[in-house]
Amino acid sequence: MNSDRESARRGPDEPNDFAEFLDDAALVARIRASYAGAPSPEAAQVARCTTAVLAEALHTPTHRFGGALRPRWWWGAAAAALLVVSVMRPWQPEVAVQRADQAFVGAAPAAAPLAAPVGATTASGDAVRFDLMLPNAAQEVALVGDFNGWDEHATPMVRRRDDGAWSAKVPLSPGRHVYAFVIDGRRWLVDPLAPQVPDGGYGPANAVIVDGPR
Amino acid sequence: MTDAELVVRTRAGDPDAFGILVSRYYDACWRFAYHMTGERADAEDVLQDAFLRAYLAIGRYDERDQFRGWLFRILTNQCRNALTSRGRRTRRFVQDEIALESAPAPPLGLATGVEDAALVRALSQLDPLQREALLLKYAEGLEYGEMSAMTGAGESALKMRVKRGSERLRTLLGRSLE
Repeated sequence: MNSDRESARRGPDEPNDFAEFLDDAALVARIRASYAGAPSPEAAQVARCTTAVLAEALHTPTHRFGGALRPRWWWGAAAAALLVVSVMRPWQPEVAVQRADQAFVGAAPAAAPLAAPVGATTASGDAVRFDLMLPNAAQEVALVGDFNGWDEHATPMVRRRDDGAWSAKVPLSPGRHVYAFVIDGRRWLVDPLAPQVPDGGYGPANAVIVDGPR
Repeated sequence: MTDAELVVRTRAGDPDAFGILVSRYYDACWRFAYHMTGERADAEDVLQDAFLRAYLAIGRYDERDQFRGWLFRILTNQCRNALTSRGRRTRRFVQDEIALESAPAPPLGLATGVEDAALVRALSQLDPLQREALLLKYAEGLEYGEMSAMTGAGESALKMRVKRGSERLRTLLGRSLE
């Protein structure tokens, strides 16, 4: 009887001789040693994960948070933020900057129509000027991208006016560049109107292409 | 600040609190994911997905559970998903019994920052469920009851996976364990 109960408890795939199985001390030690010896992830890797998770969550519909984690007001404000990437044709007529949606097949279209006309800004020199209209009370805004190592301290944007206009000018070599904005040092923002690129590890980002001389 | 306090702050909409949780558990999760996937890049992707799912599901987290256990439940699922997805794409590891058997056994107590490449490779050739059970049992030090709650598998099945996984791993590692 007891034996029957024991057998039922064991389950169909557990053999009778399981009781004879003993942990292999050498194997256990080797697994634990490898586990402990694996190189620790770099701090940048952890930061990258955090950033990507929060940036991804920012674009997740609010109902998935179950109400308890409803985004705060600035998330809505961020969604309404406007960006203008200035396209410069500096000193050579053949140098141009194209928006990624004009150059990449399958690039995501603009996410939402503009509430107001978007102004375009141009500047001279071998640079691209990034303008961001941010209708909230951000204290500081930084431009991050592959051109500055995603360093939020490398390219602070300048507040142009009190109505939330920020801009930064960055010299960019010809090629495809991926970028995003960091609001107040911790909130990552992508331009909802600009083409977005697949997540390359830093979370959602926009893309811009700088064409060199043809 | 305790995990529970950080969860409360995260639920209240403070992303920095979740960042602290990520920093606190990233290392442990990474070691598990790396030994499960055998690839650093895959492990990093798995962790990102796991933490994102944790963030989105944190409203459903039951405070009576240990946060680490709850997180590992998500992580094990993500590892399974990643391995399934990868299995469809390609097999990354080449069956190379000769190289495996000739790999020298590292001394116990490896230097920090040096993983056991032969072991990681041998693990990658196990059935994923056996690999998962071995790591949870031996590397994470969980009891079978905890493993059962985490994976949804019965204790008997888990014991069987550990037993068969151990035997297979010993075979794969061959002489290096003797």
